[in-house]
Amino acid sequence: MARALSLVRHEASVDAPRLVVGDDELVDRARRGDVDAFEQLYRVHAGRVYALCLRLAADPVVARELTQDTFVKAWEALPRFRADASLSTWLHRIAVNAMLERRRGDLRRAARVSLADDEDETETDVAGIVLAPDVATAIDLERAIAALPPGVRRAFVLHDVEGFTHEEIATMTGLAAGTLRAQLFRARQLLMRALSL
Amino acid sequence: MTEHTSPDDRLNELTTSLPREIAPPPDLWSAIRAELAPRSSRTIRWTSRWRVAAAALLVAGGSSVITLLAVRANDRGRAAAIVAGTDSAPASGSRLPAHLAVAELGYERSIGALRRTLDERRDSLAPSTVATVERSLRIADSAIAEARSALEHDPANRVLADLLVSNYERKIDLLRRATELAPRT
Repeated sequence: MARALSLVRHEASVDAPRLVVGDDELVDRARRGDVDAFEQLYRVHAGRVYALCLRLAADPVVARELTQDTFVKAWEALPRFRADASLSTWLHRIAVNAMLERRRGDLRRAARVSLADDEDETETDVAGIVLAPDVATAIDLERAIAALPPGVRRAFVLHDVEGFTHEEIATMTGLAAGTLRAQLFRARQLLMRALSL
Repeated sequence: MTEHTSPDDRLNELTTSLPREIAPPPDLWSAIRAELAPRSSRTIRWTSRWRVAAAALLVAGGSSVITLLAVRANDRGRAAAIVAGTDSAPASGSRLPAHLAVAELGYERSIGALRRTLDERRDSLAPSTVATVERSLRIADSAIAEARSALEHDPANRVLADLLVSNYERKIDLLRRATELAPRT
């Protein structure tokens, strides 16, 4: 399992995707206010950012808003971007922060209006997803991920899908290492149950 | 499917096979483009999320004031006519800048989808909540129409462009929150 997991991390690593020729030049132009250059950067990176946001949010409308927030914030912060991190990693971090910020706002609002909170402790119907045995596919997995409780889903997406390390996730989310490990374990248990693996 | 693989391995296989990229909505860039501030100044940017009714009321009030101020800044005399409703009506058809017209189509699509979802779940909401949501939506529509009308008279006004985008986003937020209040049936 450990070998398989490390393989997943390697292939999913945010730093691993294709080397985008010209990112540096586009970043430099965008820093100076060239919107066309920024659009080219968007065209290159939007697919991965949107995939991340969609999996984190499990809601296309929210994913759209998070992706929009990510690129608008990136535009605003681009003059401070340092090339010691890849642009892809940097955008991912902005997206995760946008999601966390939104989540915190949602929780505050939910507390104020006493709405039911669906944070980690609440089991959604992930185990109730009815899938025919032995036909688990990537699409089924997407559905099962979307049905995970939010905190558990975030841990799984960031670690197993996006390939962030425990340390990186802890830095981004403020989660303690033990909590993260527990969430990852829980995510895998729920997903295996939902997929009848 | 591979035989004799453990559940963990199978889950890893599936995870690895997930697409790394998913195409975002085609109109998303237009919406982003409309929010990009010039490097030397800042766009009005609304990040706080308000509760449904309060949000709509503030949109309406704030929108009217900002619209008035923004238009007055460029054309004091014409602004008064617009706000008073005495200005000659613009010709039919969109006279918005192209990128805003495209963004508007995207917003309308999102609004339509959310509206359908809300309508499907309407029966699960209390009548008083439905009434509040509908009233708030009418206010949001009014704010959008007001900003749009002013922008059609003054297409180069960035404040009005930002205001229109913000009003659309707030309406979408309003609808999204309303659908969240209504449990899935």
